[in-house]
Amino acid sequence: MKIAKISFIHLALIFSLFLGACTTAQKATAPAPAPAPAPAPVAEGDAYTGTDTVKFLADGVPDRVFFSTNKFNLTTAAVNSLNKQAAFLKANANLNVTIEGHADERGTREYNLALGEKRANIVKDYLISNGIASNRIKVVSYGKERPANPASSALAWSQNRRSVTVRSN
Amino acid sequence: MQSSLKTSLFGHLLIIVIGSLSFPFLSKKVEIPPIISVDLVQISDRTNIPYAPKVSDAIKSDKKEKERLVTTQAPPKIVPKEKPDAIPLPDKIQQIKELIEKKQNPVKVEEKNKQVSEFEKKEIFDPNKISALIDKAKKESDEISKRANLEATQSQQKNFITGTLTLSEQDAIKAQIFKCWNIPIGLPYDQNLLVRVKVKVNPEGSIISSEIMDTGKLNQTHQKILAESALRAVRLCNPLKVPKSGYEKWKEMILNFDAREMLKG
Amino acid sequence: MIQRILIVVLLLLFQQNSLKALVTIDITRGNLDPLPTAISDFYFDDSIKPDDSIRKSRLDKKIPELVENNLQRSGLFFPLEKRSFIQKPEVAHATPRFEDWIFIKAQVLVTGKISLDKNQRLRVEFRLWDVVSAKELSSLAFFTTTENWRRISHMISDKVYERLTGETGYFDSRIIYVAETGPKTNRVKRLAVMDQDGYGVKYLTLGNELVLTPRFSPDNKYVTYMSYFRNLPRVYLLNIEAGIQDLLGDFPGMTFAPRFSPDSKRVIMSFAKDGNSDIYAMDIKTKVVERLTDHPSIDTSPSYSPDGSSITFNSDRSGTQQIYTMKGDGTAVKRISFGEGIYGTPVWSPRGDLIAFTKFFRNRFYIGVMRTDGSGERLLTENFYQEAPSWSPNGRVLIFYRETPSDDKGRGGNAKLWSIDLTGYNERMIETPTDASDPTWSEILSKSK
Repeated sequence: MKIAKISFIHLALIFSLFLGACTTAQKATAPAPAPAPAPAPVAEGDAYTGTDTVKFLADGVPDRVFFSTNKFNLTTAAVNSLNKQAAFLKANANLNVTIEGHADERGTREYNLALGEKRANIVKDYLISNGIASNRIKVVSYGKERPANPASSALAWSQNRRSVTVRSN
Repeated sequence: MQSSLKTSLFGHLLIIVIGSLSFPFLSKKVEIPPIISVDLVQISDRTNIPYAPKVSDAIKSDKKEKERLVTTQAPPKIVPKEKPDAIPLPDKIQQIKELIEKKQNPVKVEEKNKQVSEFEKKEIFDPNKISALIDKAKKESDEISKRANLEATQSQQKNFITGTLTLSEQDAIKAQIFKCWNIPIGLPYDQNLLVRVKVKVNPEGSIISSEIMDTGKLNQTHQKILAESALRAVRLCNPLKVPKSGYEKWKEMILNFDAREMLKG
Repeated sequence: MIQRILIVVLLLLFQQNSLKALVTIDITRGNLDPLPTAISDFYFDDSIKPDDSIRKSRLDKKIPELVENNLQRSGLFFPLEKRSFIQKPEVAHATPRFEDWIFIKAQVLVTGKISLDKNQRLRVEFRLWDVVSAKELSSLAFFTTTENWRRISHMISDKVYERLTGETGYFDSRIIYVAETGPKTNRVKRLAVMDQDGYGVKYLTLGNELVLTPRFSPDNKYVTYMSYFRNLPRVYLLNIEAGIQDLLGDFPGMTFAPRFSPDSKRVIMSFAKDGNSDIYAMDIKTKVVERLTDHPSIDTSPSYSPDGSSITFNSDRSGTQQIYTMKGDGTAVKRISFGEGIYGTPVWSPRGDLIAFTKFFRNRFYIGVMRTDGSGERLLTENFYQEAPSWSPNGRVLIFYRETPSDDKGRGGNAKLWSIDLTGYNERMIETPTDASDPTWSEILSKSK
């Protein structure tokens, strides 16, 4: 049953891609509400500033931003990265994304799920405030379930406090 | 336009069909071991003890537990454990030692330097007046003492004559009983956790008899459990180390087993 | 006249007797040592033929072994070595020679007999004896199928425990947890159920999607948990008997941290949308949803009091993660944690008087308890990483999980279940075939029938 399940899911995925092409001729929906002003960027705190674990959506477009412990505000570096992501998304208007919010392991599991959700949403809000349509952006929180760096060190934890923008189509 | 709509509809239906086949709720059933019922039957008691558990008591106490939704059991007092004096396997001793040592972040253990309770000095009668009656009374004293004890309340017990036992003599007996008394930890600390045991000893300290006073309270499960633990303590401490003289003073004693200190959070 | 004299004489004798030096000594201390307990092998009686297969099952040894295991693991009993026992099981069960048992330093004794009734049902009879006072304390018989012998052993353990400690037992129960395998960056998680003593682990999900925080309903009919099925993190409901798992509700965002109400009718949980997590309660049958918190902060980890009138939960509305209580309708929100550090995962004791929690302070994790008004905070254990305490059905033992640190290759990071007594003693690991996390305890099984 397990094998059967996987192949069915694959079939479903393939067909959904096929169908995605049918939706190009849609009329514009109701005008989106005025985007909220983006929160002011904050000091770095212990947010990760390196480039390890960072992947790229395209040349020069980092796929993720990092956060300070227990925080969900965007740092200056985060804002810079997100500006690039916004520009990239504008240039590729067909692209949809999912923002994955994560937390480090130094917290309780359920609270970290909520914190990841906040981190994902703050990225989504920023992209929207930069002109990306909200229906192109989904959010999901993984709490501390999917660390980028499995080590138990301050460095690893800072690399895990992140929001990752992932192509969803 | 028409054909693309048709294709779209067809494609959507196909996805729904494929997707529904992979949903978990239509896949095979999950099995948790079922709860097989067990019938419970109370067998009649073989021995005839006044406060042996009766069926009605067992049922009553079950009902009481159900109602006791908001109970007030505070965490029991932390006291460093002493190893029980029994015949264990060597590795069992090891286990117990390890468990005690492994306890991290130990809760502060308060040193119990409680003041020994003083005798209350309440003289009721002039001893001389009734000395004449003493001989006559000796015969009936046992029966009367039984009745008197049954009627005695906590306040009445403090009818002592000054200087029956010295503090150190008292402490000596206390220390022994402390060691022997294994306190049931589950008793609710806010209820009456006082049980009185009357003990008769011979001059060597062997216990001739031990009995619970206030047997009327023993229909309450907690009192019963407490009483049984007190009796075990007394019997385990047999023979008591007693003072070398003054037998008349301590040949009969009342031991007030009070679990509140130990069980309070 | 004579009557009056008699009364006076009686009164004088009464007083004189008190005068006659009944020394009273206050015994205010004792020991909380494990009670030395002798658990004798049981025996098969004549109703079971010598060649009957039941004899091969060795239940005469297995049942008392399980009882001994339970009592010993509780930390309150000290089972004595069987090799030192003098009396044979069948003799002791009829009437013990108490001296023989006192000799090996037992204070209490368990004996038992296994027979078949006329309908071929298994009948297990046990007796609990006070060896020191030379009397019988308890005498009960259980009827069931042979395969159900483990439950009988657990029920016997509960009866012995209750009769001697004054506490209700907790051995006839189950634990549900998340079984973990695989590297830390891509953990595979499955729901698993086992008896409270670790026996009979059964997996409820395949591991294709992440599952987290499973909880039993108090009537033992449902399990609620969070799953990432189809990459949508949501709360699900599993009907144990039917074996069917259903999405709970139709929320347009992540639902998580689910727990049941004490009457098993509602699931309380967090719902997160647009960066805000609030607490909602949903009736399982009617699907009616009630919103309980309405605050821009993170509100999560809700837990009902045993009478259902109050809820404790985790919120960072003060700026840091703290513990709050509120009424069942969401009013009267009150913060109760004020110590140093951050607090999470509050869970109300089934006795109603304590709330257990996880605390994180100076890079260390603690499991602790506090009274429901926040006073009397006591930390029971400390570790590099541990969280999510859950109460045993009698409110005496806490089960939680720990994880070891891991290196950058993902080695280490082992998660295991641990339990600890309310007094802070008897901390022990619970063996599971795989790594394990998110454990919760069921209600006593016999209560759900």
